[in-house]
Amino acid sequence: MGPSIILNQTGLIIGDNTLLKPANLTLEAGKLHLLTGPNGAGKSSLLRSMMGLMPHSGDIHWQWPGKASLPAYIPQLAFFDATLPVTVEDYLHASIHTRAFFLKKSKAQKQRLQSLLEKVGLQDKTQRKLGQLSGGERQRLLFARALAQDTTLWFMDEPMTGLDQDAQQTIEQLILQLKAQRCTLVMVHHDHDFVRRHADQVVVVNQGIERSGSPEQIYGASHNQDDIPARSLTVSRTSSTSEVCS
Amino acid sequence: MIDSLHQFITTLVTQGMLPEMFQYPFVTYALIAALLTGPLLGALGTLVVVKRLAFFSEAVGHGALTGIAIGILLGEPATQPVAALFSFCLCFALLLHWVKSRTQVPYDALVGVFLAFAIALGAALLLYVAKKVNVHILENVLFGSILTVTPVDLLILAIISAISLLLALRFANQALMASLQPDLARVQGVGGEKARVTLFDYAFILLIALVTVAAVKIIGAVLVGALLLIPATTARLISRNIRQFFIRTLLISTGCCVAGVVLPMAFELPVPSGAAIVLLASTLFLSTVLLNQLKILRIA
Repeated sequence: MGPSIILNQTGLIIGDNTLLKPANLTLEAGKLHLLTGPNGAGKSSLLRSMMGLMPHSGDIHWQWPGKASLPAYIPQLAFFDATLPVTVEDYLHASIHTRAFFLKKSKAQKQRLQSLLEKVGLQDKTQRKLGQLSGGERQRLLFARALAQDTTLWFMDEPMTGLDQDAQQTIEQLILQLKAQRCTLVMVHHDHDFVRRHADQVVVVNQGIERSGSPEQIYGASHNQDDIPARSLTVSRTSSTSEVCS
Repeated sequence: MIDSLHQFITTLVTQGMLPEMFQYPFVTYALIAALLTGPLLGALGTLVVVKRLAFFSEAVGHGALTGIAIGILLGEPATQPVAALFSFCLCFALLLHWVKSRTQVPYDALVGVFLAFAIALGAALLLYVAKKVNVHILENVLFGSILTVTPVDLLILAIISAISLLLALRFANQALMASLQPDLARVQGVGGEKARVTLFDYAFILLIALVTVAAVKIIGAVLVGALLLIPATTARLISRNIRQFFIRTLLISTGCCVAGVVLPMAFELPVPSGAAIVLLASTLFLSTVLLNQLKILRIA
């Protein structure tokens, strides 16, 4: 089997509340996996468990080449203290370089920052404080930070929620570029149209993993996006390490 | 080395290049202590502000009251109860952090409880201790006194400063990002390296406890928390980026420490050095707020 993340009887219980019933799932490399389901169904908790940010029962096994040991993470609309004097350039520099933030940046470092910010269309906002950025700009900055890592594995938790239409389109384009590069994307998302058009695997979460499969298998031939048939499906397994995010 | 420095300063006094008060060794010691304490507290203060831990450092500072009393009760010298002070501050900070990570109580409420406990326990023990030692010695430890600085204190300060500088050069970015967005730092790492967010939290607590002990002679245990907070809060108002924020915090902190040591002597004011330093820093903060308001009114 190629690189993958394997969930073996993974569940989440906090106190008396069962957030996720134990279930199995395999997320294969080089694909766009979309976690969908109603609000409060446990999608974000499942994503956070996969990243090791939440305690869970069962096993989550990363069968992955070393390069992706540090994955990218795009959380829901990021909060920044508006009054802190941290600029876009400061944030990105401190995220991706080891040279202490209070020392002067080298010319090469400045060029790298500029090139990353150009990729996400923030090249004119280098000196803007984080608290002064719009929601879309903050998300694009997080993408710039993640792009710098040159990682093959991305976790995204509703990266377009709360953004205006233009910002949503920009983020969608960035996600589709990553998909075209055969990066592995694990994403919580509510937009059934996006899920139907772009997902390689849909994972329906409702207090546990209800079912998973291709959009056709989950939604059937019907174009009614809310009509999700209740049947379990097996995930197809085809991927190769060399093709991933090349 | 310190003796040679003092001789050099005495020569400058003889040549009329420095005021006469610098002919006394304790003034030289106090000035060196101020020059080491200022940048140390300033550097740590920027993280205190970014991490929103102002109240935490204040609580640890007040925990020093109890640490000093325990030290004297255990037979440490009343002028320098360093071991008990450091041990108690460290245990107090670690316990606070440990409880925080295991309860749902809001952090500010939790720090409030610990702060009240530390002051109450400290007051109870100090009243008992005051029967055994001269209360003025305690005042020196609580509010700082330049007369008590010794070459050994300077050596301790220099070692802590050197360790802090090395840590800052190597881990400043990781500490900053772990403070700004801990979850992202945990998952993505910083600068291509895994960020050990929990380790940074505990290292930070250790540094606050260390700095509280190191700054006790000049600023006093009770006011260390204030100097961790005020210069960074002032610099935050007048900085456009993180580098400016860091450098200005260091300058303000060092400037206040030096002025707080020198001015009471120059004007023969009977003010403890810690109080003078914090009063200067507070005045600077209020002036900055007022100037900012005037600027806003002028623009409007």
